[in-house]
Amino acid sequence: MEKKEYDAVILGGGLAGLMAANIVAAAGFSVAVVSKVFPTRSHSAAAEGGIAAYIMGNSDPNDDPDFMSYDEVKGGDYLVDQDAAELLSKKSGDIVNLLDAWGAPFNRQPDGRIALRYFGGQTYPRTRFIADKTGMALLHTLFEHSTGFKNIEYYNEYYVLDIVKEGNNVNGLVAMEMKTLNPIYLKSRALLIASGGIGMMYKHTTNSYINTGDGQGIALRSGVALKDPEFVQFHPTGLYPSDILISEAARAEGAILKNNKGERFMAKYAPHKFDLAPRDIVSRSMTIEIREGRGFEGGYLGLDLRHLGKKYIIERLALAYDAAKNFSGVDASEEMIPVRPAQHYFMGGIDVDTTGTNHDLNGVFSAGESACVSVHGANRLGSNSLLETVVYGRETGNTMVEFLKSHKNVETNSNVDPIVDAAYAYIKRETGEHFGVLTEELRDIMWDNVGIFRDNDKLAEAVSKIKDLRVRARSMYVTDKTSNYNTELFNALETRNMLDVAYTMATAALNRTETRGAHFRDDYPTRDDQNWMKHTLTYLAGDEIKISYKPVTYTRWKPEARVY
Amino acid sequence: MKVAYYPGCASHGIAKDVDIATQMIAKDLDLELMEVDDWNCCGGGFMDDKNEAVHASLNLRNLEKVEKMGYNKMATPCSVCLNSHKIAADKYENDPVLKEDVDERLKEANMEEYDNGVESEHFIWVLIRDVGIDNIRKHVKRPLTGLKVGTYYGCQLLRPSNVMGFESAFNPHSVMDLVAATGATPVAFPMKTACCGFPLMGSNPTVALKMANNILSSARNEGSEILVHPCSLCHLQLDVTQDKIQRQFKQDWRLPAVYITQLIGLSFGYTPKQLGMSKGSIEYLKSRGIS
Amino acid sequence: MEEKEITVNIKKYNDKDGAFWKSYKLKADKYTQMTEVLRRIKSEQDPSLAYRASCHMAVCGSCSMKINGIPSLACRTIALQAVNEKNEINVESMDYYPGVRDLITDIDGFYDKIYKVMPRLIADESVLMGENEQRMTPEDQTEVWKFQECIYCGLCVSACPSVKEDEKFLGPAAHAKGFRFIDDVRDTKKQERIELLMDSAYRCTSCYMCYEVCPQDVQPVIAIKKTKNYLDQYKGDTPVTVMARKHDDTIVNLIETTGKIKESTLFLKTFGFGEAMRDAVDMLKTGKFKYAFEKDSKVKNMSEIKNMMGEKK
Ligand SMILES: Cc1cc2nc3c(=O)[nH]c(=O)nc-3n(C[C@H](O)[C@H](O)[C@H](O)COP(=O)(O)OP(=O)(O)OC[C@H]3O[C@@H](n4cnc5c(N)ncnc54)[C@H](O)[C@@H]3O)c2cc1C
Ligand code: SF4
Ligand code: SF4
Ligand code: FES
Repeated sequence: MEKKEYDAVILGGGLAGLMAANIVAAAGFSVAVVSKVFPTRSHSAAAEGGIAAYIMGNSDPNDDPDFMSYDEVKGGDYLVDQDAAELLSKKSGDIVNLLDAWGAPFNRQPDGRIALRYFGGQTYPRTRFIADKTGMALLHTLFEHSTGFKNIEYYNEYYVLDIVKEGNNVNGLVAMEMKTLNPIYLKSRALLIASGGIGMMYKHTTNSYINTGDGQGIALRSGVALKDPEFVQFHPTGLYPSDILISEAARAEGAILKNNKGERFMAKYAPHKFDLAPRDIVSRSMTIEIREGRGFEGGYLGLDLRHLGKKYIIERLALAYDAAKNFSGVDASEEMIPVRPAQHYFMGGIDVDTTGTNHDLNGVFSAGESACVSVHGANRLGSNSLLETVVYGRETGNTMVEFLKSHKNVETNSNVDPIVDAAYAYIKRETGEHFGVLTEELRDIMWDNVGIFRDNDKLAEAVSKIKDLRVRARSMYVTDKTSNYNTELFNALETRNMLDVAYTMATAALNRTETRGAHFRDDYPTRDDQNWMKHTLTYLAGDEIKISYKPVTYTRWKPEARVY
Repeated sequence: MKVAYYPGCASHGIAKDVDIATQMIAKDLDLELMEVDDWNCCGGGFMDDKNEAVHASLNLRNLEKVEKMGYNKMATPCSVCLNSHKIAADKYENDPVLKEDVDERLKEANMEEYDNGVESEHFIWVLIRDVGIDNIRKHVKRPLTGLKVGTYYGCQLLRPSNVMGFESAFNPHSVMDLVAATGATPVAFPMKTACCGFPLMGSNPTVALKMANNILSSARNEGSEILVHPCSLCHLQLDVTQDKIQRQFKQDWRLPAVYITQLIGLSFGYTPKQLGMSKGSIEYLKSRGIS
Repeated sequence: MEEKEITVNIKKYNDKDGAFWKSYKLKADKYTQMTEVLRRIKSEQDPSLAYRASCHMAVCGSCSMKINGIPSLACRTIALQAVNEKNEINVESMDYYPGVRDLITDIDGFYDKIYKVMPRLIADESVLMGENEQRMTPEDQTEVWKFQECIYCGLCVSACPSVKEDEKFLGPAAHAKGFRFIDDVRDTKKQERIELLMDSAYRCTSCYMCYEVCPQDVQPVIAIKKTKNYLDQYKGDTPVTVMARKHDDTIVNLIETTGKIKESTLFLKTFGFGEAMRDAVDMLKTGKFKYAFEKDSKVKNMSEIKNMMGEKK
């Protein structure tokens, strides 16, 4: 098997991975970036609305990084580690200026400074944006910046199978070139997991097809904990029926949600913030409206932009306008856009501290959506995820630089054959089930039972069904026996990862008998700070999930009721 | 019917036969071509390489002259002139920074701001939309039955389709419909919408000629006897330059290339010579009994 | 919701069997995107079907292919809008790039061209040190963004005739990228970029194919034309740019003095006496030599032309 050695290997070419790669490479270390798609095709490209930042001298005069941290803490229903939130706010201005210096073409104010706008849950406007393709522009900026480094090597369209361990240390990872199915062992002493989200395990999701929780699955299998996996965000405005995201920017610019009676129903649920209340609240309100018969036939509500006027819509909300037009055949200046909630973001993730370090396995770091620092707690605010990818991408990159300075690569070459054999086994097997059958079942279970409204029965059923799916997945087989860009094999491997991650999510959700942020239990409808002001840690041990807890870090904000 | 007519430099120069044939059939079809007053060159697809604002101003000057003549439509037989005027008007409408610069220039030339009151059209659009295929068919005195005609569109007539706005850039049929009206057999070929290479003649002629040769070969491979095209500059590239192509590619065949109104003219009963065709075309048509 | 049965014909390819067409039947409604059609074929009928797709919202540039012969993004194509009278859709991989498997092509060649244009902003040292802030007008931002909006889908290059014939041509996407930085007031390497791009810019044949197929409306050919605007600042000389200078200067000069272009003068000035004479001989052969002496009246009101052609206002 081919083998290469680097100082650091980065799993993921999204915003978090590329930011860290730039930082580690700038310090002179050799870096391999492995991605199953060409980096600019990572899911980060899909982020529309923007990135939140307090920029000194270019923010609302009344704003302050502390207000920003407070918004995050409150938005996350007090499950946020407050030191992490403070760091995020404090470095937000700085990171946006850095991105600007690297070429990101932020929208401008007439005086040439970076422009800003309101997003849900913000006390003052803080969102910086690049038209309505902020994620794409930032991703391209970071990728393009990285082309200036000779010590970054890209492994594009390489699928990572598993982490290599030597005792309690990381010893690199094994990936497979997708074009040929040739395995390669990339040895390193530091490994960053920046593999993004998990959306594809839900029937309705705004996520890319490639968001299959690979990094989280890989981490679980090598003994690393997932923190708070019960927290999944559902975005209020997925376009009906394709679930393409209609950015929160639409509501930030004045769009209004209406039910089939034409009522602005959010007035009832969030009398102060209306349509711009945090996402969990809006998604739940919408689900109630639909459930109680005030939705349109087929199960959706209307997002009304008509009063904004065509010119304004096209100027400021081109992507939303185009999406409605191209994918639902609706002219948003004349009709309401049909929307319904859809899975959007995974607050849980690989357990790391504010330096991006995981403490289960030496040399493992994580950043971006695959990590849980935790700045989003029980619910993420819009514009904060992009911010997290770059701020914590950089923090973690710096941590890795320090780590690399004080550590040497593990001398031994680990035996990596079992990892490769396990993957090939799906091809070698002649009978069994197809990945397609298993994923479709999983997508239904997660949507119906581990969705917006949860309860004991639904969750218990989900856990037992997923257990069953995991057993069936062991005899999954791949009909395509060629080694010629065999995408069927990779779909099967993704299914394996999704099942492992879904298993922890359903189990942790069943375990948390309270309602907090995006985790809403019909049978426990209130927040229970007495018993549940703590992070869940989940470990996968064979076929069992082990749960332990970790305290939430406070600095200055005491829990209070969350009203908007 | 009267139409403002912009011949373009080439059809008053080396591609004179384009103008000759167009005038002839227009007369038969009761189209009165009113030459644009004191028109200027559109920049030939090159002026915007030098300066976009100058380019746009030159084109808008023509359109304003048309407006002054009292027309809201300007027809041209040349795809490049068409493209040039359309792109200029489109940029003027959609690029406020450019518009400012152009307005200054128009002012210095004692012209007003342009109000997008004139549509530029290709002469064949006028034939199809205003004259009508049926009407054209009625004027056919000598159906060109059995003549296999490669129908070539080229680039500037079709693209960008959202600016040109007449037909699909990938499945066009205007030239085919006109050829069919003459009684000839239209031959579609894979490279019918590819570029003839003319714009490259001024900087990279080797590749330019390769492109022209690709078109001719593609048409020939599908069984075309002659090629028909809609552009004065394609005419230079595919007709006059064919000897150069033969030399560069050591080719022993020739594919006569004629302008669309020349083909229509043939079916109206004019002789190849009257239509100003080149010797090669005249000879070939003669061998097919058309003279 | 109303559904219609459609037939999707896909040109499959693998190393062992080469290329072959395969048909699939499935139901689609008026919202079904082609990426969803492919996903369903893969998970319900033919797990071996290979294609790329990620965002399904036209921002990642993965799903480039030919649909009914037109270079398209699959996710941007609605199945029922694409079907023909027989409710059929034909799907093939992009032209130009080597095929890998089914709809997947190897577009490394595309990226290599982009890497050649130094595709990154080089800001002033003081900005990088955080000592200075960069400003940019909203208008400048709009123009930079226009050419930065490229999603690396590769469609333009797959359809560009010059790329196919001329390996020295960097191609539409790389030019859009290169120009985006020339155009960025925050960049410090303008001259270097002009040197990098100019020869290649004059290898574009201005056929507007890239403009037509680009799903992001980047208009690469316009970026190329805007790059050519800097010819006067270009210091290098290649056979291509030397000829282009002669050609363009003649055109500008002809328009400035007569308001019109005379092709015969243009030939003479661009190709030089020898080549122009050969062209004249060709023209004699075609019987069109007489047209070379066609005398068109020059523009009467030349002051209008001159006033319009001055320096930037
Ligand atoms: C539609 C949409 C809109 C959004 N809008 C906003 C917004 O406006 N503001 C905001 O702040 N946030 C937004 N978000 C959230 C935000 O985009 C994401 O959370 C963020 O981009 C995640 O970045 P990342 O770097 O962590 O991961 P990603 O960008 O998802 O990158 C993951 C990388 O990991 C690689 N990878 C994964 N598995 C493997 C494997 N097995 N082998 C090899 N490589 C692998 C992938 O190839 C990819 O390169 C939005 C999300 C969605 C779905
Ligand atoms: S205009 Fe130029 S770059 Fe664009 S497709 Fe044509 S030759 Fe290629
Ligand atoms: S310029 Fe347009 S067509 Fe070309 S790669 Fe970029 S997005 Fe695709
Ligand atoms: S799937 Fe991303 S562009 Fe089509």
